[in-house]
Amino acid sequence: MLSVQGLCKRFGGVTAANEVSLQVAPGEILAVIGPNGAGKSTLLNLLSGLLRPDEGRIEFLGQEITHAPPEVRTWKGLGRAFQIVQPFPEMSVWENLLVGALYGKPSTPRKVAERVVAEVIELTGLAPKAQTPAGELTLLEDKRLELARALCTQPRLLLLDEVMAGLRPSEALEAVALVRRIRDSGVTVLFIEHLMPVVRALADRVVVMDYGRVIAEGPYDAVAANPKVREAYLGRAQ
Amino acid sequence: MELLLQTLINGILAAGIYALVASGLALAVGVVGIVNFAHGEFTMIGAFIAYLLFVGTGLDPFLSLGLAALVLFGVGAITYLGLIRPVLAAPELNQMLLTFGLSVALQNIALLLFGADTRVVSTSYQGATLSLGGLSFGVPPLLAFGLSVVILGALYGFLDRTRLGLAVRAVAQNRLAPGLLGIETQRVYLLAFGLSAALAGVAGVMLSVMLYASPTVGFAYTLKAFAIIVMAGLGNLRGVVPAAIILALAEALVSTYLPGGGGWVEAVFFLVIFVALTWRSWRAA
Repeated sequence: MLSVQGLCKRFGGVTAANEVSLQVAPGEILAVIGPNGAGKSTLLNLLSGLLRPDEGRIEFLGQEITHAPPEVRTWKGLGRAFQIVQPFPEMSVWENLLVGALYGKPSTPRKVAERVVAEVIELTGLAPKAQTPAGELTLLEDKRLELARALCTQPRLLLLDEVMAGLRPSEALEAVALVRRIRDSGVTVLFIEHLMPVVRALADRVVVMDYGRVIAEGPYDAVAANPKVREAYLGRAQ
Repeated sequence: MELLLQTLINGILAAGIYALVASGLALAVGVVGIVNFAHGEFTMIGAFIAYLLFVGTGLDPFLSLGLAALVLFGVGAITYLGLIRPVLAAPELNQMLLTFGLSVALQNIALLLFGADTRVVSTSYQGATLSLGGLSFGVPPLLAFGLSVVILGALYGFLDRTRLGLAVRAVAQNRLAPGLLGIETQRVYLLAFGLSAALAGVAGVMLSVMLYASPTVGFAYTLKAFAIIVMAGLGNLRGVVPAAIILALAEALVSTYLPGGGGWVEAVFFLVIFVALTWRSWRAA
């Protein structure tokens, strides 16, 4: 579904993404983990088009999108939700979602868009808040809105950037269930996460990054037992 | 009592043009993210378009509104593509220097073309007034006010009810999200900057009747528009109309009730900026 080859991005002397290659298969939930500064967010920004790579190639559904602007990627079915939520604070929850549904695919009729919003607002449990201005939501509701709005663009692949950060364990559990429901509805998911219990619960497969490189990939248990991964997180044993 | 009523009416009537200019500036600042010091020069261009059409063809300024709006939309679009877009990612100081330079350049081009004289569009109804129970209403201000209400109504209707308006509001409220939701942000910027200039231009046409056309006529309106959008909260399109009314009423009251008030009117906007900023920072602290 998504194929990334030799992606490089440098900021001055820092190489935030160094020869990153990975594949995402349709229907899977892939976790990208790594210590702070490993280049996970850079990777997500490169995939969603907020940053352009210095080298490498990104293919999505068989089409090259390496240098396509963000809106074109969205139209093709690449959705993105942020770690730091980015609502339209003065719009109601409904309007926030409507933006995603109307513009996520070019020239979507309003009736169709409203139907999509109605479905997503039920799925994400935001229906009681439909008319609340987004600026007045709690953190948990904000995170749901962020996810819901990305869903309204009707993505085939959803990129999630630490959407559980700051949630209480019980809330994180709810969110895990929600991501599963999203996958079961036919959306492939690539997510960045710091909370290992969440990664373990959700991910079919894990990619580990450190210093801009992919250092390991595989099922959670194999990756967690990998000495290179332990070293990246805990430092080299003396 | 009659004096107070007349003063309040004068204030309200003036608020229409203020709201037009300030809504335009709010689009530039709030949607495109550009502090446009040349905004009043779009007003000036609008005033000269009305003047030239009136002198050349005898066309009534209120009929040339539509044409002026179209021309200014084009001027705004070209300004955006040629000057603004290349500096969107530049530091704010650079952007401000650019628009300030544009303001000075446009004023001086107008000075070269038309000289420094003020030029009044002398319509037949220039000095006409309507009287109602001891109060008098100038016909041009009344017409300008009525048209401003219609245009602002159309603007807010567009923002509130249309698909494109939703995109404009989205871009005004968040920089990062719109592109990832499929909005072509560059087009929205272009549209917003064109609309911004068109609104300023329409106000200029009205000024050519109520005041005059001159190379520096727009500058005072840039300052007043800044006072209004600071009062409304930068980027808050909805607050522009009430803020415009407050500024216009304050000016009218100062002009009527302060000894030598006419001279102090042009200082009111400064007081408004000062009070608005102080109050905001005091409340935030």
